[in-house]
Parts: sequence; C-alpha cells; structure tokens
Amino acid sequence: MKKRFPLWILGAIGILLVVVVPVAIFWPRQPKAGTDPWKFVPARPVHVDHKDIVKGPFATPQEVTRACLECHPKAAEEIMATSHWTWQSKPFQVPWRDQPVTIGKFNQINNFCIGTPGNQKKCMACHIGYGWSEDQPYDFSNPLNVDCLACHADPALYAKGEYGNPAKKVDLVAAARSVGATTRNTCGKCHFNGGGGNGVKHGDLDESLILPSENLDVHMGRYDFQCTTCHWTEKHQVKGRLIADNYQVDPKEQVSCEQCHQNHQHKDERLNTHLRSVACQTCHIPAIAIEDPTKVYWDWSTAGQEGRKDDHYVYQKIKGSFIYQTNYKPQYRWFNGNLQYRYILGDKIDPNGITYINLPAGSIDDPQARIFPFKVHVAKQPYDKVYNYLLSPITAGKNGFWTLFNWDIASKEAEKWTGLKYSGQYGFAETWMYWPTTHMVQPATNALKCADCHGPDGRMDWQALGYPGDPAEWGGRFSKR
Amino acid sequence: MKRNHRLILSLILILGASLLGLAIFRQVRANQPASPALQASPLHPPFALLDEEGKNVLESGQPVSTMRTCDRCHDTQFIVSHSYHSDLGFSAYTPSKSSMDASNGLYGEWDPLQYRYLSQDGDERLDLGTPEWLMYFGERIVGGAPTTLSRKGVPLTSLRPGESAESSILKNGRVEGWDWKASGTMEMNCFLCHLEKPNNQARIEAIRQGAFRWANTATLEGYLVQKNADGTYTWIAEAFDQNGQLKHEYVRIQDPTNENCGQCHGTVHTEKEVPLVIQSCSGEGATTGQVISPQYISASGMNIAGKTKLVRAWDIHAERQLKCTDCHFSLNNPVYANQKQEPGHILFDPRRLELGEYLKMPDHNFARGQSTQYNIAPELKGTMQRCESCHDAQKSHANWLPYTERHMAVLACESCHIPQMYAPAIEYYDWTVLKPDGQPQTECRGTDGAIIGAEIASLSNMPFTVSHLVEGYQPILLARTNVDGKQLLAPYNLITTFYWVYEDKNGNQRPVRLVDLQTAYFQDGKYRPEILKALDTNGDGTLSDRELILDTPAKQEAVASQLKALGLQNPHIEGRIQPYSINHSVTDGDHAVRNCRACHSDSSRLAQPFKLADYAPAGIMPEMVTETNVKPIGEVVKGEDGAIYYVPQPSKASIYIFGYSRVQWVDMLGALLFAGTLLGVAGHGTLRYISYLRRPRKEIRTQRIYIYEAYERFWHWLQMVAIVILLLTGLIIHRPDLFGAFSFPHVVTVHNVLGILLVLNAALALFYYLASGKIRQFIPRPHGFFDGAILQAKYYLQGIFKGEPHPFEKRPDQKMNPLQQATYFGILNVLLPLQMLTGLLMWGAQKWPQLTNWLGGLPFLAPLHTLVAWTFAAFIVGHVYLTTTGVTPLESIRGMITGWEEVEVHEEHH
Repeated sequence: MKKRFPLWILGAIGILLVVVVPVAIFWPRQPKAGTDPWKFVPARPVHVDHKDIVKGPFATPQEVTRACLECHPKAAEEIMATSHWTWQSKPFQVPWRDQPVTIGKFNQINNFCIGTPGNQKKCMACHIGYGWSEDQPYDFSNPLNVDCLACHADPALYAKGEYGNPAKKVDLVAAARSVGATTRNTCGKCHFNGGGGNGVKHGDLDESLILPSENLDVHMGRYDFQCTTCHWTEKHQVKGRLIADNYQVDPKEQVSCEQCHQNHQHKDERLNTHLRSVACQTCHIPAIAIEDPTKVYWDWSTAGQEGRKDDHYVYQKIKGSFIYQTNYKPQYRWFNGNLQYRYILGDKIDPNGITYINLPAGSIDDPQARIFPFKVHVAKQPYDKVYNYLLSPITAGKNGFWTLFNWDIASKEAEKWTGLKYSGQYGFAETWMYWPTTHMVQPATNALKCADCHGPDGRMDWQALGYPGDPAEWGGRFSKR
Repeated sequence: MKRNHRLILSLILILGASLLGLAIFRQVRANQPASPALQASPLHPPFALLDEEGKNVLESGQPVSTMRTCDRCHDTQFIVSHSYHSDLGFSAYTPSKSSMDASNGLYGEWDPLQYRYLSQDGDERLDLGTPEWLMYFGERIVGGAPTTLSRKGVPLTSLRPGESAESSILKNGRVEGWDWKASGTMEMNCFLCHLEKPNNQARIEAIRQGAFRWANTATLEGYLVQKNADGTYTWIAEAFDQNGQLKHEYVRIQDPTNENCGQCHGTVHTEKEVPLVIQSCSGEGATTGQVISPQYISASGMNIAGKTKLVRAWDIHAERQLKCTDCHFSLNNPVYANQKQEPGHILFDPRRLELGEYLKMPDHNFARGQSTQYNIAPELKGTMQRCESCHDAQKSHANWLPYTERHMAVLACESCHIPQMYAPAIEYYDWTVLKPDGQPQTECRGTDGAIIGAEIASLSNMPFTVSHLVEGYQPILLARTNVDGKQLLAPYNLITTFYWVYEDKNGNQRPVRLVDLQTAYFQDGKYRPEILKALDTNGDGTLSDRELILDTPAKQEAVASQLKALGLQNPHIEGRIQPYSINHSVTDGDHAVRNCRACHSDSSRLAQPFKLADYAPAGIMPEMVTETNVKPIGEVVKGEDGAIYYVPQPSKASIYIFGYSRVQWVDMLGALLFAGTLLGVAGHGTLRYISYLRRPRKEIRTQRIYIYEAYERFWHWLQMVAIVILLLTGLIIHRPDLFGAFSFPHVVTVHNVLGILLVLNAALALFYYLASGKIRQFIPRPHGFFDGAILQAKYYLQGIFKGEPHPFEKRPDQKMNPLQQATYFGILNVLLPLQMLTGLLMWGAQKWPQLTNWLGGLPFLAPLHTLVAWTFAAFIVGHVYLTTTGVTPLESIRGMITGWEEVEVHEEHH
C-alpha cells in the first residue's frame, strides 16, 4: 500500500491556520515607530596610537606631512580636492554676472573681518595649509603644504600661527605623535573661533560645545557626537556646505537631520502637520549662544579711536565697536537650502539702504522651503563712495589698518588683491549677513511649544513670512481656508 | 466524491466562510462636523467716558458709568438683563424657611466653604447684608442688578439705611445702617472682561472700602485714571484727545482672554516665562485642583512629586491656544449660532445675526456645561460645546482601544483624559470648630505636610505653602447624567463640610453665624474655659488640631450649650458632601489612562475609596447633596483610622467591568461544579484501574471500523481548541490580577476572535448534520429512552468495574448511547447557544445597546456567561474522562483523530 500522508495531520494544520490567521489579523497593533536613527550613525573610527609609529625629528612642518604621506599616500590629494584647501566653492553661474563666479574665503568678503586677500599673516591661521604668504600666489598643488596636524593633532600640543605655519612653540614631533581622529576640539579650533574670537561668528558654534551639557546640545552633550558623526566624511570630503560661502547647494552635499532621523513622526499628530512648512531646527533650537555670547553688531566706523580702552566685548581699536548677545533668539525666514543672492566683490550697493552679504532663498510659495532659524549679523563696513561698492581693505597685512589705522592706505593697498579700484573716498554702509542655526539642538522636551509661536506673544512675525496672520487661525499655506 | 476531494472542498468552504465572516465585521465610522474658532475683535472706535448722567467724566469728575458709556453703541440694558454673571441668581431670589439657599447663584446660595451667609428678609439675625455681601464677595461680583437694585426691584439708593437686611451691615457684632446714597452702587463692569489689563486689585480695594460707585473707575487705575492720596481720582489727560474722547492707542477693548476669565475663575496662568506657583489651597482653583495653563507641569515652580517626568502641559487646550470663550461662547454669537436645527432635516441654517447686530446686543449668557457645584441659570445647562463637538473619538481611539463605542457609552472623555490632578484641592472644611486664629479645620487633598513626618502630616493642617510636596490626587468617578439623558462616569472632587445650623425664632433653618461661633468659642481673644475644659484632653491648656475635633457627644454639647446661651435654638451639626466637576486640566492621549488594568482589575479606579475627611464629628455622617445630576453610586464608610471614605459601587450604575465585577455565588457554584467533577472522575478512574488490575483478563472481540468522518473530526477538534482557548482567555479576563503576565487587550481580542470562530464552526457543523441527515444520531429517541439511560448509567456505576461489555454497540450510524445523546443535546442546544448568545450580546453591547439592556444588560449577561463557562469547564473534564471508556483508554481518542476505531463486536443489534 502506498504510504500516504496521514489525513489527521493535515486536519490539525488546518485547525491551526483557521485559529491563528484571524487572531493575527485582529491582533491589536502599536502604531509603527519611525526608523531607528541610530542605524545611520557612523561608527566611531578606531584610534590608532601613533606614539611609536611616528619618528622624528622634524625640522619643518612639510617634513611632518611627508611622514604622514608615507602611510597615508592619498591623504594630501584628497584634501587638495576639498574646499578646506581651496577656500573656494565650485564656480556658479549667478544671474547678475556674465561669467561664473566662485565664492569663498579666498576671494569674497563677509561682514566680520571682511576679507582675507592681503591679510594672510593672520587669516591663514585657519587654512589647513602651511606658508600662505602675501609674497607669492599660493601653490595649491604642493601636497607637502597640506597641514595634517591642524585637524588631527591634539589641540593642546599644536596650534597654527602666522601664514598658517605652526606656532612658534610647537614641538612638531610631539604633535605628530598625538594624531587621532578629529574631535569637536580639533574642528572647533577654527570653527568655534571664526570672526576673530570664541563664538563671534556662528552663534551656534563656540567653545561651550567642547564639553557641552545635554541641555546645551543633545547630540554632542548627551551622546558625545563628534563633528564627523553628522558631517560624514569620506576621503577627507566633509559633508556640509555653509551657505555663506555658496550659492546653490546640492542637497547631496548638505548635512540634514534626515540623514539619521528618517521618516520621523512625532507622537503628536498636530506636530506632524508642521513638517511641511517648518524646519526641524526651528522648534528644536529655541536659542543659541546660550553660554558664550555671540556678536550681533560690528561697527567698523568707530575703529581707530585714540585713547579709548579696549574691551573684548565692547570696543577694540583695531576693529571698532560691537554688541554681543547671549541666549540669542533666532530670526525666522523661509529657506529652501540655497541663497538667492550672495555679494560678489564689485557688486554695486545702495549706501543708504541695507546691503545683504547673503540672502537665503525661499518663500511661502516655494514648497521646498521651510521656516528656518537664522542668526543675523549686522555690520557697518567700509565702501567706496564714488564707485559704490564694498571695499576689502588690508587689516592684518603690511600697511594694513591694524598697523597704520588709515582706511585710505588700507583700501589702496587692497587694490592689487581685490582688483577693485579705490577712488580715494570711503564711507561706511550697513550690511547684513545670515548665518543658519543648526547646532545647539536641545533635548525634545525643551523644544518650542505651541504658545512660543502662536498666540499673542509668539516669536513669529507672520506677516513678514507672508501669512495674512497666525496660521492657527488663518490656516496654513497649503490649506484651502 | 473521493474522500480527499471532499476534504479539500470542506477546507475551502471553511476558509471561505471564515473570511466572509471577517469581512462582515469591518466597521464604518461617521464624521463629526468641525467647529469654527472664535476670532478676537481688534477694532473699536474711540469713545468718551460718561458718568451716570451722561456727562463726560473729564468735565464732571464723577465716576465713569459703564451703562451710559458703552450704551452709545451696545445695548447695555439688554446686556445686564441677559447675563447670569451679572445676575448671580438675583432675579430668581426666593426666601425660604427650610432652605438655606434663597437662589441658585452667588446672591443667595449658601456656600459652606465661604461660610458667611446673605441673610434673607425676616431672618432673626443678620449675617451679611447686601453691602457687606458685596464687600465680602466683591472679587467675584461683576456688578449689575444685585448691586444696584433691591430684591423688590427699587434702586438700592432709595432704601433708608437700616431699613432691611439690604441696607444694613454687621459691625463688631452690632447691626448698623448702610447709606447707599453715600457709597453709591456698582454697575456691571464691562472693563473687567473687555480690557487687556484691568486693574482688578484696585477695583477690589475700592469695593472693600465700601466705595462702590468708584469700583468701575478703579478698574482703570494706572491706565486711564490716577488715584490721589486723598482717595479721589484724576483722569490721565494724555489719554484723551481735545474732543474729550479716548485717543485711539488708548482704546484697548478686546474679547475676553483667558487672563480676564482667570481673574475670578480657577487657576489660570498664561505667562510663558514665569513658572506657575500656587501659594495657597484656597479659591476656586482649589475646589478641584484644575489648572488652565499652557505651561508644562515640569516647568512649574511647584514641588510636585515626579515633576521631571510630567513633560506635558497642565491643560492641553490652553496649550493649543484655545480660549475660554471658544467653548463658553455667547449664546447668540453668530459664529456658533444654530447648532441644533429645526425642522429635523436642516443640517445648517445660514440665516443668522449680522455681526453688527450681535455687537449691539450680545447675549452675555454664556454657554455653560453641567458642573455640579454651580446651579446658576439651570435652563442653560449643557449649552456648551462638549468634547464630541470637536473630537471624533472613534477615529482617535480606533487603533488601540477595543470596544471604543462601549467605553464612550460608559465613560465621559474626562474620566481617562483627566487622570490625575497635580495641584492642591480642598478635602474638607470643618466649621464646627475654630482654631486659635479663628479659622476652621481644613485639609488639602493631594499634598503632604511639608517637612513633617507622615503621621502628623494628615492632621497637621498646616496651611498649604509652595514648599509642600504635591502628590496630587486621582479624582473619583461618579455617574453623571448629561442633558441628553445619557449617564456617564466623570471625574469629581468631593468636598466635605461640617457646620452648625440652628433654628431662629422665626422658624428659619440657618447656618450659625460666624460671629456667633466666634463668641461661643472665644472670650477675650482666648478659648472659653468651658470649651477648653471639654476639648483639652491632654490638659496642656492649648487646643491642638487633634483636640479640635468634636468626636464625642459631650464635646458637641459643650459647644452647643454656648450657642444656646446666645439664644440659638436647636443648634446641631450637619455634614454635607459636595461634588465638584472636573473638566479642565485635560491631557493628550499619551498621558491619559491607557493601561487597561487601571479599571479592569481588582484595584479598579472605578471602585477606589475616596477620602472624604480625616474624621467625622460623633454621630454625624455627611450626606451627598441631592438634586444634582450626579448619581450617588457609593456609600460613606468609616475606616479603621476614623477617617471617612466614599466607596463607589459601579454596579449601582448598572456598570459591569470585566476583570473587576463578579457575582460571588456564580464563581463559587461554578468552581464547586468543576472541582466536584474533577474529584468524581478521579475517584471513578482510580476505582476502574484497581478493578482492572484485580479482575481476570477477558478477551473481547473487537473490529476496526471507520467511525468518524473527516469533517466530523475537523469540526470537533476545532471546537475543542476554540472552547479551551475561550475558557483560558475568559479566565484571564475574569481575573486579570491572577494572570498579570498577559496583556488584557490582547487577551480580549483573542477571546473575541475565537468566539466568532466558535459560532461559525457550530453553525457550519449544524448545517452539515442537518443537510446530511446525520443529526438523527444526536436526537435521543423518546421510546425506551429512560430504560436505555438507566442501563447505561448502571454500566458506568457497576458494569464497567466488572469489565462487562458496553450495553450499546457503537456503530457508524449510531455512535452515541442514550446518556451521551442527552448530554450533547443539552450542551449543543442549550448551553452552547446560551454561551454564544450571551457572548455575542456582551460584545454587541456597543453595537446594540438597547437590545442588550432589554435582555438584562451586562450585569445580568456577564454572570450568566461566567456560570455557563464553568459548566463547560466541568463538562470538558467529564467528557475527556469518558473517552477513556473505550476498549482501551486511548482508543476513542485515536478514533476521533484518525477516524478508525477498534470497537466491541456485539452479536445482536439493539
């Protein structure tokens, strides 16, 4: 007789299915949580102690680089392809110019220390290369001039001085032996001190982030994120573009919350309805410059006064007068990730109005734009009264303002650096610069609440944003009401 | 058809039927229409301030008259006469001998917490006359008819001082006249609600000083007027233009904001940066502990236990920018008008008041809820928007709460969405005693004595301060009857008050006046010696809080005799329990009650004892106030520590809660049945085994026959799986505390799914037996039934032990003996349908509430379901045991699995 599969086992399986399938269908389900952001956090690089690997002595910093390149041969090439080295963006075609332009510290100005051309002595302390002086054009093709120590050496053992060379007291061997992965401290040596001091420029980047509390920045404080945890770096190409030195930013090159917080849904449905119009940063960064103050106003016109006492936060003879603020409440604008305008040297200005060094792009009608927080820095900086463009006078360089306290000479000397003719008459024009706020993300419990934006004392200027009034009453930009 | 094909067809049929059944149970939810938001009005033309005679106050120097000033554009007479905020029960004032309440509002209703009493005409003794009533309650009096007219309708200024209670005042225990002409009267104060920042402090001060005519002017102090050192007022010149009208930027008239309402009502905190701090356990906010503020509890300045985890707003509607007026709107506001339509088919009637018409005659009767403690304007109760006007509970609960409709039919939204109060609330006031400072004994709920140990804390009666630890309290859930007749459980605070009442010589029942109570207790600023003697039990010369309790008749008599000495007849103590509705301090779903076991367990919230007071004066148990929409579903019991509690009994509201409610005798009987059966079969089986061992082996002729068809086996085992799982899940649902490891909602889901499966399985099997005619073998034949049954019974009781053959042959066309037929007949035609029906109705209580209630409701169906479940459990024990009575113990089960069974061969056929 043929061996047959016993029928009763089939029956038993049938019963199992008949019971299990309906139960599974009706099983009460928890709402799906979003993807776990931790899945996307890159692994921290393993530290290899170079104490016994690096052998000195090193007479020049270039010898250090040569030693690094023995084991890391591609490193210099990679660096030389990035904007950390070139100090320029890739060329952009902008509507108000016929030729493409590049934007960067190399050639364009801001409204802090204004410009680097001619001021290499001081400014290049934050260039990751050695020996960039005024005497000749910088050799961008020499790999040995790449400064590995700037980002990789222990900040306690290495600092940069004039023209980007190591500071005088640095022991190159000790510094070279101390190399490791970049940390908040190494990146912060330059990025926390932009604009000439701690916390001056960005507002959301200052030395308080070296050892932050979790209420100051939840990623860096609670989870000890280093810069590269979000600014993913491959082949020395660091993700993230500062809109101050760019025009259009390719989203692929930009850091965003959604790299890790993908498909994030808040538990509160009402909050999720905000995602189409409000950026994460707006609610999750209630204030910046929480511990260390940031500069919000810089008046160059008062610089050079005799007999006035220097006070870091109020007045310096070389720089002028300033206003600092702590607990800075950001200003809010529509922003789609790009700029609509970036001041290029030579652009004409209206000295009686506001000149925007950069202006974020986006509007209420732009579905890609979100309401985004910005730090606004207002300055009064020199311009040419006859030609009506902003000047980039020499400050730290030879015969600069910081030596002679003479704007005419400083502006004349700058002619060969900027290509801008100086008429002999200067004035001071008001300029504004927008710095996006994206660090100092506080824990979710500290995020802005409904009453912080909506209601009578809200921090949003609805009409300035293009709304007829409070969207809680008028309806949002996508609603039909 | 081949057996395999039949089998496959049966399987397909079963699966198809199951899927069809599942599809039928998809539910469709209806949508609720949304409610529009009320807009604040920013426009108001400049106007001149006029006095009573219509002259500009800048010229006359007289106090501003809101009635004349605002009347230029708004019909102030209409407003005053259509505002219960202004009326306060005045127009319904009716003196009564037996009732201490002459009206249903602040003007005439006696509040034992405030204790002072607005004397009625004809009262022997004066407590509060109208002038002192205004001064005492001034904070909460808006002004209008009660403060400008007498009870007979004539202006108060026309009354002679001392003529009646309405123009008299009690000063130092003596009655003196009050000259209304000198003090002036108080008109309805528009500024209090319609100014951005009215100076309520100045207004209250003016009232306290008796300068009633200046009260409304004082509201403008610091903004439009200055108060001089000599008490006169000077108008601020720069606020007015050359025409004598207010300058445009000084006109700050607005719709009332939460801050305006918060001046009198509840604890309202609107500042974002300032942490909320509650300084004392008094005021309206302390009657419930409700806080209306968008601030997070974790950001408040109070010492709340577990504060860091309470990362939620005090009140979510305040957080979401709703204003009081969004729900408590003016009843003729065109934005909210026409909520209910006539005739019935009209969904929405667009014909409504013009905005201008509304502004001219705005009805100041606001939509109100049905709070138990306020009886004013009872005809307007329930005009307010309720949760369901804006929220679709079905949609928001559908993905996690089983039986959503059933829950909504039993519980008000507030029951779960206001799970705990985190601010102090009054527990009791004992006005039968006075502490050395002249205040009654009071206790604040939900707070700990500050630094003192627990045993002293409960009687510490230290006045609440901001450093007290606030643990909050869980409100008690009582049955509330809504305007539409539905009865729902809703949260309340219960405040118990004890106080002395007496009969005055005109036969009026009145509370003992504060001044008389003070005289009874104190002499020259110290306790009377007679009182000390009676109450000072430890003889230290002072009365501590513990001693200030009238817990013996002797102590009560000591006080009563003092009162009698003052001429008060029949002084005795009464105790009253007043429920206070809790509707604010709502929280969002994440922080609401989500744990099923909060109610579905032995420690159900619905039955938790609620502390009323630390003690009750001897012989007095307080009674819940009557004539409210709260059904008193509990009883007042005294605990071992002498404290009194209110213990709600949900069964009194016909509420049956799975996992908590049970009928003792049903469980006892069922357990007895089960245990009895278990013992029986254990005994019978043991005896069989012993007799088997002892008797000689007999050869029995057997033959192997195909006795159970595939489908029969399938439905039998499916039935078995379903019943066993149903019994187990049913047990877990019935006693969730014993089976804490299981998740209640998941177990309920499994029970329901398998219940449906059982019904389907039984129905299909019934169809099969009917259609094939095989039902015949289930039906006991009446002819010779009893003989056969007795024969079979005798076999089980005697023959089986002797190894005799079965009396009845087991044949494929007759598989069951008469006893089996009888048993299955009962099981399959009575018990099983009963169980399925009760189960279906219990689940269907939310779909067909009327039918379920008509058949007895859950309180009847559920215990019946439980009893039948017990019988099924007993049946299974017996049934499984009896399957061992085949030729070998396991042979019958093998037959039911494979279909082939070795059965005894019988020579003759019965």
